[in-house]
Amino acid sequence: MFGPLGLSLAPYVRSSKSLTNLLTPVANWYAGAMGYRKYGFKYDDLLCEENDQVQRALGRLTDREGYDRAYRLKRASHASVLHAPLPKEQWTPESDDVRYLAPHVEEVMKEENERKLWDNLVVERK
Amino acid sequence: MLAARASTARNVQRITRSFATVVDTSGVKVAAVDHNQPTASVTVLVKAGSRFEPKEGVANALKNFAFKSTKARSAIGTVRESELYGGVLYSTLGREHLALTAEFLKADAPYFVDVLTSFVTSAKFARHEFEEYVAPLVAAEAESATHDPATRAIEAAHQLAFRSGLGSSLFAPAHNHITVEDIKSYASAAFTKGNIAVIGTGIDQATLSNLVEKSLAKAAAGTSASSPATKYFGGETRLDGHGGPQTVFVGFGTTGAPSAELATLAAHLSTTPSVKWSQGISPISSLPKGTSVQPVYLPYSDASLFGLLVQGTTIEGVKEAGKAAVAALKAAAKGISADELKSAVSKAKFAAASAVDTREGLVTALGSKAFSGSEVSLESTLSSLDNVNVDAFSKATASLLSAKPTFVAIGDSHALPYADELGL
Repeated sequence: MFGPLGLSLAPYVRSSKSLTNLLTPVANWYAGAMGYRKYGFKYDDLLCEENDQVQRALGRLTDREGYDRAYRLKRASHASVLHAPLPKEQWTPESDDVRYLAPHVEEVMKEENERKLWDNLVVERK
Repeated sequence: MLAARASTARNVQRITRSFATVVDTSGVKVAAVDHNQPTASVTVLVKAGSRFEPKEGVANALKNFAFKSTKARSAIGTVRESELYGGVLYSTLGREHLALTAEFLKADAPYFVDVLTSFVTSAKFARHEFEEYVAPLVAAEAESATHDPATRAIEAAHQLAFRSGLGSSLFAPAHNHITVEDIKSYASAAFTKGNIAVIGTGIDQATLSNLVEKSLAKAAAGTSASSPATKYFGGETRLDGHGGPQTVFVGFGTTGAPSAELATLAAHLSTTPSVKWSQGISPISSLPKGTSVQPVYLPYSDASLFGLLVQGTTIEGVKEAGKAAVAALKAAAKGISADELKSAVSKAKFAAASAVDTREGLVTALGSKAFSGSEVSLESTLSSLDNVNVDAFSKATASLLSAKPTFVAIGDSHALPYADELGL
């Protein structure tokens, strides 16, 4: 439940069609209002990376994804120095704002949980 | 007399037991030998050795990918569950075959057959597993091979002798560009029914066939892999050594099925004495101190490589030992006495018979025949050795030596002898 990705109600919302229809416009408005897209970020660039799980997940990105992520971070910190958002044509379009890192983090968490399970297994011989 | 008869009866029983009939189980060849050992082993033999690889080192990478995640269980699940059953899993790579083996207690056969076959039918080949676990292993194996001059010499000799096909190395190049996609496509081409043989020891044929039929039913149908017929070339190369003894390999290759004459020649030149601390009666037993000569006989399905591996601490020693080795080889080609041949044949027969006493030897013996679907018995091997006569022996040796030699020198390559200096 707890972990680098934090708590999320998204699976519950997605499981209900009416809730999804109701909340999707709100979610889209909120993601835009957060302002990270104005600095060229994707949502997963904001994920706290100072822990082992996310570091391991970052290692599993393809080279291309890794370079692009570094470029976005660099470009955003430069924009921050200038105290201004990027020019509008460099904002992240909604279609590009995908969870490129979260699936890897989930995979890492799943492996860790499985390892814990095997470490604490009680074997019963029939 | 009674005792003698009893032991003969035991021997007969033993020889008949080493028969294994290859049975076609839903397209997969299955052979099993049960000597009533307390443990059993199952080997899935795939025609995916290095001779079939489309890109250098892919076969080695596939070997190191064995027992990683499949649809049935994750990599850690495979390891931990096998530990709970007390079994051993390993994969080995040859130039012809990739072997995935499990050794276990007899009762646990269903689980271990499932582990082996689920890798064949549903391996995931995840990119992160390749980068985190497999690539470091591939690099480590290649690295350790460069520190063993004997391995390097044999690898280089294969490349010179056969160039492509059998010439491709068992190891990946130091700087390779293997991607997980390469491995995946190689695996999907190799893991087809016609390309797989399952070999069991300590498990009876019916049980194994049953288990294999159930679990390999999903495997893709396909024909057996084929590669262009091997040609022998030969040549000379000199490589710098990274430590280890000074090494010279003098080899010759032949094409065609392996012959009993070459096995006899290897036994004739073998310097391993039958009794500890003795020098043996090999024609190359008197060597300078600190040097060794080992005959290397590597039979494959359509070619064989025969050679002498000369190793020593000093250049002079290696030179002298190499001359003695080449002289012995040439003398054998001119003909040997009937007594010498008799002892060589006995030695070769003992080597062939004692090899099938071990599990690995048995699997190798069955594996070479399993794909052709013929009956496998020790008797046929032994009788073919018995049929070797002096004329055939010297003729086979002479025709072997008439080809261009394969010469490899590893160590101080500026000082080690050249092929002509050894009398080739």
